[in-house]
Parts: sequence; C-alpha cells; structure tokens
Amino acid sequence: MITPTSVLALRLAGPLQSWGASSRFTRRTTESAPTKSGVIGLLAAAAGIERGDDARLAPLAALRFGVRIDQPGTRVRDFQTAHHSVTGKSMPLSERFYLADAVFVAVVEGEHTLLAELYAALRAPVYPPFLGRRSCPPSGPVELGLHERARLEDVLLDVPWQASDWYRRRLLHQAPDKLTVLRERAVDERGATDALRDQPLSFAAAHRRHALRTVVTTHVALPPGPPDEWQGHHDPFEALPGALEDESV
Amino acid sequence: MYLSRFRLNTARAGARRLLSSPQAMHAAVMSSFPHLLPTDAPAPDTPRVLWRLDQQARAEVVLYIVSPDQPDLTHLVEQAGWPAAATVDPQNPGWQTKPYTPFLDSLAAGGRWSFRLTANPVHTIRRKDSEPRKITAHLTPTHQMGWLLDDDRQQRAGFRILEKPQSRRLLPHGTTHHGRPHHGDRYELSVGDTRSLSFDKSRAPGGRRQGKPVTLVTVTFDGRLEITDPEAMCRTLTQGIGRAKAYGCGLLTLAPLAQPTRQTA
Repeated sequence: MITPTSVLALRLAGPLQSWGASSRFTRRTTESAPTKSGVIGLLAAAAGIERGDDARLAPLAALRFGVRIDQPGTRVRDFQTAHHSVTGKSMPLSERFYLADAVFVAVVEGEHTLLAELYAALRAPVYPPFLGRRSCPPSGPVELGLHERARLEDVLLDVPWQASDWYRRRLLHQAPDKLTVLRERAVDERGATDALRDQPLSFAAAHRRHALRTVVTTHVALPPGPPDEWQGHHDPFEALPGALEDESV
Repeated sequence: MYLSRFRLNTARAGARRLLSSPQAMHAAVMSSFPHLLPTDAPAPDTPRVLWRLDQQARAEVVLYIVSPDQPDLTHLVEQAGWPAAATVDPQNPGWQTKPYTPFLDSLAAGGRWSFRLTANPVHTIRRKDSEPRKITAHLTPTHQMGWLLDDDRQQRAGFRILEKPQSRRLLPHGTTHHGRPHHGDRYELSVGDTRSLSFDKSRAPGGRRQGKPVTLVTVTFDGRLEITDPEAMCRTLTQGIGRAKAYGCGLLTLAPLAQPTRQTA
C-alpha cells in the first residue's frame, strides 16, 4: 500500500432490498448483493449531495468497494399494477424483484477525512438512507464503524457475522464455514475478474451514467457473531455471594 | 430473605395451567410456605412474597421467588417440573433456594447493576372534572418507561436509572425531532414483553364466572441502575414496586453489570 487507508463499514439489512445494476424498462431486477452505485448513492444522500452534483460525487465514487453476504435472503417478485394518483390512468405494468430478509456488510475504503465525514453524515443524514429502492428502508442503524488505517479485505474478515438471530438459530448446527465476498480489485492486484456496470459517474435525474467496475469473488472464514446484547440475559443468582461455584439447575 | 428459582416443564399440562393464569400461579406460589394461609393479607411495609416469570427461550420459563421464608416447591415439581429427575438426586430437589439477606446487606450506594422488573404501570385519569378518577394502564412504551423513570418513584425506590453515554445514542438529545422525550434512547432502559392479561379470580361451584375478570397490563423492564439509597433499595427488592404484586408484578432483581457489547468506533 502506498498510503494508509481507512474503511467505513455499513450493515445493510431490512425486510426488502433491491439492488439493480442492469435492469431497464418495466422489468426491474435485483443483483444478489448490494451494488456500488446503490451504496455510494446512499452515502451521497446522507451527505446531502444533490443528484446533478457530479463534482462532489466523484471522490465518493473513487472509493474502493466491497460487500460480504452475511445472510443471502430470498428473491421475491412483485407484479406491480399502479395507477396515477391524480388522473387515475394506469401506469405500465411492471415486474419488480426484491431480496427479502437479506443482510450484507458493505465496506468502502479510502482517505480517512472523507470517510469520517461520511460516517458523521450517516449518523445525521440529510436524506434518509434506503436499501436500493426508496420503498426499502433499513431495519436498523446503517453505520457499523469506521476503521482507521485498515484495508477492506481485513475489515471484511473481522466484522462480526451480522445475520439475524433467527437465521443464526436456524443454522445452529450447520452454520456455513465461509461467507462470500464481492469486492473491487486492489491497485496492485492482477488476475481475471468479472465486471459489473455499477460504477456511478452521474446520478443526474435526466441521465444517469455508470461505468464498468471490476468484481473479484472470494470467500472469508465465518467470523463469530456479535456478542449477545445485555438485555437478553439476566440471572439474579449471579449477584449472590458464592454463586459461581454452584452450577446446578 | 430467600431467593428461589424453579424451571417449569412447559410440556406438562400442570405447567400450562399455571402459565395461563396468574391467579393459579399466585395460589401455587403462596402454597409453598407451610405456615402461610392463602387468606393471610401481607402486613403493610414488611417483606412479602414476590414472584416473576422469565421466559428466556421458547421452552425455558423460570419462576423466581423472593420470600421472607424458605419455600418448599415440592408440589410445583410434582405438577409442573421434573419429579423423576428430582428423586434421583437428593441434593437437587428440582428447584434452587439461596439466602438473599447477605446480598441485601452488601448493597452499597453508588453500586451499579443491571436489573429486570416485571411491573404493572398505571396512572389515574378522568376525562372531565365531574368524573371520579380511575386507575388506567399505561399502554405505550414511552409512558411505561416514564412511569418507572418518574423522579419520585426512583427516589423512593432507592435507585437511579443510568443514562446512556452520548456515543451510544442515536438521537442527539434523547428526544425525537419533534422534541418529544424518547426514553429508550436516553436511558439504559428497554421495555419488552408487554402483555394484556385477563383471567378469572375465582369460580363459583359449577364453573360459573363470578363477576368481572381481572384485567392487567404487564411489562418487563430491562436496564441498568445505580443505587442511591441502599436502605430504600432493600425495601424495593423485598417489597416490590407498583401494583399487582400477587400477579407476578413488582419483583425487581439485580445481576452483575455485563460489559456493553455494542461497539461504536
């Protein structure tokens, strides 16, 4: 590495998410993981960058992006018949695809001051964050922490497994031993990669433009889940003197 | 004073009967004390029998009892426990009782604990001046927390509920953007398991209902507190908080403080 970078981690979880990269017209598909344009758009919205403001968008789009699939979720299809609220005319029939019950850890890597600003922006967003589509709100705080002097690969290795409780309970005895990571290529990395057209160039309402971006698919060993919240456990016997040597019941 | 716990075997009909009615559970708990008659009213301002049900997992329901005398829960083990396992091991009768007094004596001002309390938060209201005041349950988490956070109540009870450090708050001043209080973001306090209970107090011979059923709203508070007045705290722990103490409300228990786990950079 030439200069030390920082990494901002996000937890993307909600009842529905939808991350389109290539859909057009009335069939709106979703990728199986968050797209870079979607996540950069979320950060730009939190920071209050307007849609046509390509100059302020550029430093955000230059961040290196990666995502870890903590809970893949299921793809659901919505057959949408909408009517114009004023004229009552029917809108074009459209098919919309969503990911239900999915949890992702998305990370962006870049210069520390920019990421610190974005982290603060996420805690007091100008425009509220959503998961790929305006109708998909996140089910909890999006920000997951800012790691100083870190690399994207290492953060994706260390962040606790974010899958929901019910999912972890269901997989209690057959938890996956690794999680899929989709990330951009590092500067000094060589080798064949996939490409996805989700590198944002402009979010201008009249003409959105995206460029191709590299995608490297790797796996990381399953990190331990987050420790239990203190609300979950309460044992008054632990407070009693000499409680620790007695373990009956 | 004694603290006891007993795990209910939820697969048994006896346990289900007890879980379905606080009245039945109350009767069963009170029958655990040989020289206490069900008709005995507790003397005011003395320690009394308090109990609470904690559901820790789907099939793990634990009954906690704080009482002035040592209870004998044999009948509960027989009806709603694991009697065969209890007879195999004479050391382990199927429940656990420990002396509570040494712990109560060790409490000191400034001590910080995590707590759990199931309570029946109520207030009295009237819609117009000509009407008599009526006892009414608090129904929203904000009001329910407000009931426990009431300054007078905390002072009388001998504790203070801790505030969250600024770094763990999602709202900067602990209020919503409308300026309304948001206790859950400001204090180390959460409300869970709100239940609306309705059960019959007793039945006439022949199974006919007598009068109206008892209706209650109970909530379980979890949080962290600091002891301000150890003497008042002991009273709170042995005499309970709020109403409906016979029906599993009012028992406050303390546990050592776990380290905060939610990390923010």
